[in-house]
Amino acid sequence: MDELELLKKDWQKGTEYKSYDNSEIYPMLHKKSSSIVKMLFHISLAEMAFWILLTTVPFFISDNYRERFNTSYENPWFVAISVFGFLVIFLFVYLLFKAHKSISVTDSAKKLMESILRTRKIIKYYVLYNLVMIFISIPLSLIFEFNENKEFHDQIEAFDSTQMILLYAITFLVTGVFVLVIWGFYRLLYGILLKRLNRNYNEIKKLEI
Amino acid sequence: MNKELENSFVEQLQKHQNIVHKVCRLYTNNVDAHNDLFQEITIQLWKAYPKFRGDAKFSTWMYRVGLNTAITLYRKSKRSIQTQEFDNVQFKIRAEEYDDTEEQQLKLLYNAVHQLNDIEKALVFLYLEDKDYREISETLGITEVNARVKMNRVKKKLRTILNP
Repeated sequence: MDELELLKKDWQKGTEYKSYDNSEIYPMLHKKSSSIVKMLFHISLAEMAFWILLTTVPFFISDNYRERFNTSYENPWFVAISVFGFLVIFLFVYLLFKAHKSISVTDSAKKLMESILRTRKIIKYYVLYNLVMIFISIPLSLIFEFNENKEFHDQIEAFDSTQMILLYAITFLVTGVFVLVIWGFYRLLYGILLKRLNRNYNEIKKLEI
Repeated sequence: MNKELENSFVEQLQKHQNIVHKVCRLYTNNVDAHNDLFQEITIQLWKAYPKFRGDAKFSTWMYRVGLNTAITLYRKSKRSIQTQEFDNVQFKIRAEEYDDTEEQQLKLLYNAVHQLNDIEKALVFLYLEDKDYREISETLGITEVNARVKMNRVKKKLRTILNP
């Protein structure tokens, strides 16, 4: 193509760019990066912190909650679930740091995009895990309360079958909507943040077909 | 030790800074965005420098980090997007009064290249820098065959933009 050759000739002549001298380059090294990797990493840490705080803060600020929590620990199932919960958090934190460390700007363009998207995916699964846990813990706690809380037990026992179905339906519906709204918001947020990255990654993937 | 590393880095970057400027020229539309991207590429180069091994050429290594920053890491400011729209309007007006002089043609060409997507720009950039298909494919992470195929498509696309 003649035009591109013309462009190449002109390009290689080089245009007069502002040439920085050494004293101008030194301060540049110590400026803060505004790269997407850094931003995403900070958001990931904030998300982790948010979910961890959400599950631990009530324990520290509410006496009532703490008391109920302490009695719950007499139940071995509850202990097992809590231990499992902490193991999952450690696993996700470990995976997040490992994935973040593997992001290298000297990889090929495709590999770099893949490592960033993989890091994102870990956080996505972490949020998904939390939402699923919320979703299943609501009916579980209903059953738990039914077995352990005398007052609640008597109330429920007085229900007829329509009221029972209604209670379960409402519980599921409210939890479901709550979980879906958070998930939708989350997808929208990351859809916007990662729009360009996803577009470029798809463009490069398209070349392989 | 750290100071030594810093000195040798600044020395090399100073010498090869044109590569960074050229990446900025292709991916930005105004002086502010150009300087902003230059700054970000410099930070990324400096962060990656301790792992830079002498077996690769400093300039070759710069192409990779520079393009990766422009394509993936750099977050475009709103300002540069607005300018791009403005450029397109200008381009349409210019295309109507197409003139055969070389300078006019070059302007049109640069405008056309600016309308390509990020990946296509990277291909054109490496092509203009006289890189062979092996290096192009390694930089982007695609096969050599696909790099060739894509380059042909980009040439076609440029032709369509120039002669709608």
